[in-house]
Amino acid sequence: MSFASGISIKNIKRKPFRSLLLFSLVLLIAFTLFSGAFVIISLRNGLECYQSRLGADIVVIPSSAKGHGSVDDILLSGITGNYYMSGKDFEKVASTEGIASITRQFFLTSAKASCCSARVQIIGFDPKTDFSIQPWISESYKNEIEDGDVVVGCNINGYDSGLITFYGQEYRIAARLEKTGTGLDNAIYTNMATVRQMAKNADRLLETSPFQGVDIETATSAVLIKVAEGYTIEEVADDINIHITKVEAKMAKSMISDISEGLLGTSRMIGILVALIWALALIILIIVFVLLSNERRKEFAILRVMGASQKMLSRIMGTEAAILCAAGAAAGIVLSLLIIYPLSASIKDMLGLPFLSPGIPVILLLALLSFALSLFAGMITALICARRITKNETGLLLREDA
Amino acid sequence: MKLLCEGISRRFFRNGKNTNFFNAVEKTFFELPEGAVTEIVGRSGSGKTTFANILSGLLTPTEGVLLIDGVDFFSLPDEKRSQFRNKNIGIVPQGQTGLSSLTVLENVLAPAFMYGDGKEKESLAKELLSQMDLFELCDVYSNELSGGELRRMSIARALINSPKIIIADEPTGDLDDDTTRLVLSLFRKKADEGASVLIVTHEHDALQYADQIYRMEKGVLSKEG
Repeated sequence: MSFASGISIKNIKRKPFRSLLLFSLVLLIAFTLFSGAFVIISLRNGLECYQSRLGADIVVIPSSAKGHGSVDDILLSGITGNYYMSGKDFEKVASTEGIASITRQFFLTSAKASCCSARVQIIGFDPKTDFSIQPWISESYKNEIEDGDVVVGCNINGYDSGLITFYGQEYRIAARLEKTGTGLDNAIYTNMATVRQMAKNADRLLETSPFQGVDIETATSAVLIKVAEGYTIEEVADDINIHITKVEAKMAKSMISDISEGLLGTSRMIGILVALIWALALIILIIVFVLLSNERRKEFAILRVMGASQKMLSRIMGTEAAILCAAGAAAGIVLSLLIIYPLSASIKDMLGLPFLSPGIPVILLLALLSFALSLFAGMITALICARRITKNETGLLLREDA
Repeated sequence: MKLLCEGISRRFFRNGKNTNFFNAVEKTFFELPEGAVTEIVGRSGSGKTTFANILSGLLTPTEGVLLIDGVDFFSLPDEKRSQFRNKNIGIVPQGQTGLSSLTVLENVLAPAFMYGDGKEKESLAKELLSQMDLFELCDVYSNELSGGELRRMSIARALINSPKIIIADEPTGDLDDDTTRLVLSLFRKKADEGASVLIVTHEHDALQYADQIYRMEKGVLSKEG
């Protein structure tokens, strides 16, 4: 071990308060950097996932859905609701001009009673026409969803038997879906025949049926539309809203842009906050380094008396900083992972925005970048301070201390 | 090793009545002979320490040249000058100079480890510490020592690389009479072995060990006797 490394390690061990102070500051820098970037990336991932899941230009829901929350809450956040348009209204919507593809979905909320395993939103879709849910399900489950099968969101846990009960009847869990970071992770998906069977059972078992006056066989909760070339989304949506009275057509783009605006605002705010904390920690780090290096002027003068060159002093200070900054940065990142990762769900709830944690490769890259930046900040500060001291003549430093 | 000063002076900035500068060391010509103890005496503030620091290569003169074996010492790059100082000049600076992260033995051995494997100097370090009556304190950290003990430790440290030039600034300031005699005898012995020894002091204890004495007054160096 070189003299510089040896004395650096001894300095770290023998000056625990000084070492702990620098370690903690770099830990704060790395923690802020990593967790801030993690949250921002997760929010952006969530929005991307949101956009790709929706896939529709227009969403049509019955006017009665208004009391159940906004359409994006229902379609994208998994907020429960039972509302239906008649088969006749669906036909009217389907006959509107300018539609390239159309699909419908049937929503059913399971009951909080012994007849059901859990209270969740069940979404029935038509695999033949669907362009919104099926592509996503295909990532986890390649087969067709058979009658009596369900596919569950990643947050629906348990059911080791592979069976789940709704309204007194058991259904086979065919697959568990990939995480989206949205409310979709809390829902259950099945085909139209199965969801209608569930609805019939619910109608039979529940004291107050949600289907009063509705023909379950033809009812629809939401219609998703892709607009044909040559038509604008606005034109088709307006056409539906004007000519069909019991439904409401909403442009998906506006739903996404509302979320996107919220997300941009939040991520910008988080970004500014991270930058502020980071800058503050960096300023404190510089102040601490300057104060500590002033305190160490005598130590450096003694080393110079013994024959240490300016380079050697920089190496000593650099090695100390490297060890403490590397340890602090690593600890900051690990601490950040330990806090942020398990709290993803709470952060998502708190922000009220889609939140999808990045995958392992992105996390590793983020950790590496945070580590490198924190180390760089600490090292540069240390070396500037070392340079500041060593450029002073030793004879003058000795005079100060005499 | 021959150390020669040619017209060396050092000026410092200081707010004064008529001028903002003062000369701590006036233009000086001086030679430190080999195998002899040279003593510079003078009152506090007379410029002794500044002069000693220039001779040690720790302070750049405002003008003049410091020649060591004919080489202009301050013209060397820092790396070379530092290595030269480490190998050839043993410096006992004024004040307390212990590295608090190191034990007494580590402090003494530190110069030996800077540019080489100091392990081989461990027995010499222990011998020096014995001579300085510090052997029992080998493993004690230097911030636990008294002023006198620290002074003796820095003397042992200055001698660890068997330097050819020894420059000691007030080396006996914190020492009792017996230890003062011990230290001065050791410097005398080193001079007898061929080293060039310079002792800077305001006390008269060292006079009997010196081969030549200089007096520094208001930055002007003059030979006595």
